[in-house]
Amino acid sequence: MRVTLFDYGAGNIHSLAKAIARAGIQPTVEPDPLRALDTDLLVLPGVGAFAQAAGRIGPARDALRAAIEAGLPCLGICLGMQLLFDDSEEGGGPGLGVFSGRVTRLRATEVPQIGWNAIEPAGDRIFERVGLREAYYANSYVCRPVDERVVIGWSEHQGDRYPAAVRRDAVLGVQFHPEKSSEPGVRLIADYLGSVRR
Amino acid sequence: MLSKRVIVCLDVQGGRVVKGVKFRDLRDLGDAVEAAERYEREGADEIVFLDISASAEARATLLEVVRATAERLFIPLTVGGGVRSADDVARVLRAGADKVSLNTAAVERPGLISEAAERFGSQCVVVSIDAARSGDGWRVYTKGGRQPTDLDAVAWAARAVEIGAGELLVTSIDRDGVRAGYDLELTRAIADRVSVPVIASGGAGRAEHLVEALAAGADAALVAGIVHDGVVTVRDLKTALIAAGIPTRRTW
Repeated sequence: MRVTLFDYGAGNIHSLAKAIARAGIQPTVEPDPLRALDTDLLVLPGVGAFAQAAGRIGPARDALRAAIEAGLPCLGICLGMQLLFDDSEEGGGPGLGVFSGRVTRLRATEVPQIGWNAIEPAGDRIFERVGLREAYYANSYVCRPVDERVVIGWSEHQGDRYPAAVRRDAVLGVQFHPEKSSEPGVRLIADYLGSVRR
Repeated sequence: MLSKRVIVCLDVQGGRVVKGVKFRDLRDLGDAVEAAERYEREGADEIVFLDISASAEARATLLEVVRATAERLFIPLTVGGGVRSADDVARVLRAGADKVSLNTAAVERPGLISEAAERFGSQCVVVSIDAARSGDGWRVYTKGGRQPTDLDAVAWAARAVEIGAGELLVTSIDRDGVRAGYDLELTRAIADRVSVPVIASGGAGRAEHLVEALAAGADAALVAGIVHDGVVTVRDLKTALIAAGIPTRRTW
């Protein structure tokens, strides 16, 4: 199986690539969104600002969305999860719209949220399977899906409850950083890779 | 709700972990990459590398160590020591660090904090403050605790956050390496003043000291000597935090 990390050119995606490699697959890092589509699993990493990332995706947005809608497995991490939604309060162009809903700022006094937060699973056994009870977050914005049935886990920061993860078929979005969530986080990536492997 | 964190600090010199008392009398404690990995396995929530090298060659070694560590570590890594410019910050982050800690350079040129925050985001900018008691307050020191400044630690903390610090690492020079407990008044004074996470540092001797610091408003407690020397393990510390009812990450 080919795994491709789409590199927006913003931050460090080293740890994520290493975590995927630990799961047994050496990912390709691809800065061109159209070429990134020629893969079996697209990973949208979690670095940078929404506007910049949406801008980089811009020209390939329709093709990306069509490929994901047609069944291309996609893992979105942090900002990568947010890009799967319609748009963001943070500004910039439209997201991919794979999930309906907006991305809005955390309703809390301590923003960004930096640290380990508990995950409350909701109808998916993945967190139990991999033993991930707390995950590492570094984010100011969170996703607000129109249809909460896509949410497979929740977290809460200073009273604001938000989706820790959303899933529909082979598309998984996680707001936390599994590649920074120690062994259970690495196992979550491996578990997801296993579930979409063909 | 966010968990309170236990952060293990490794003073690094040429790829080796060293530890001194009150910033002096350095002893060699082993390979930095191996130590970081071992602490992750024990349940550390984060690792901090503080480069205490004096020379440019040793500094170049640090980036190699960061790279090697990032390949094997799956918890956040903060790197500090000798970071002088936004380009230095970029180099450290590119090598695989998640956050950079700024100390002397930020005191000498506070604009560095805002430059780093604008370029890379506040979430990766930690401002490290070394402070010692002075009269009714605390005075900021730079250059590894050797150089007194005119800055009041609480005022400097507030200003650093105002201009972009995402976290503060507050070390009591008086308590560093003494193992008699953190300076709780310093921790509380700064935590009450700012709305970003405060990491208490300097003075951990046993698990109760961490419980006290976290109860005094710290979001994280930094340990070094007590875990390097094997006085306690990170797992012992976390077990004690859980027993004290402090929200703590339980799985690793």
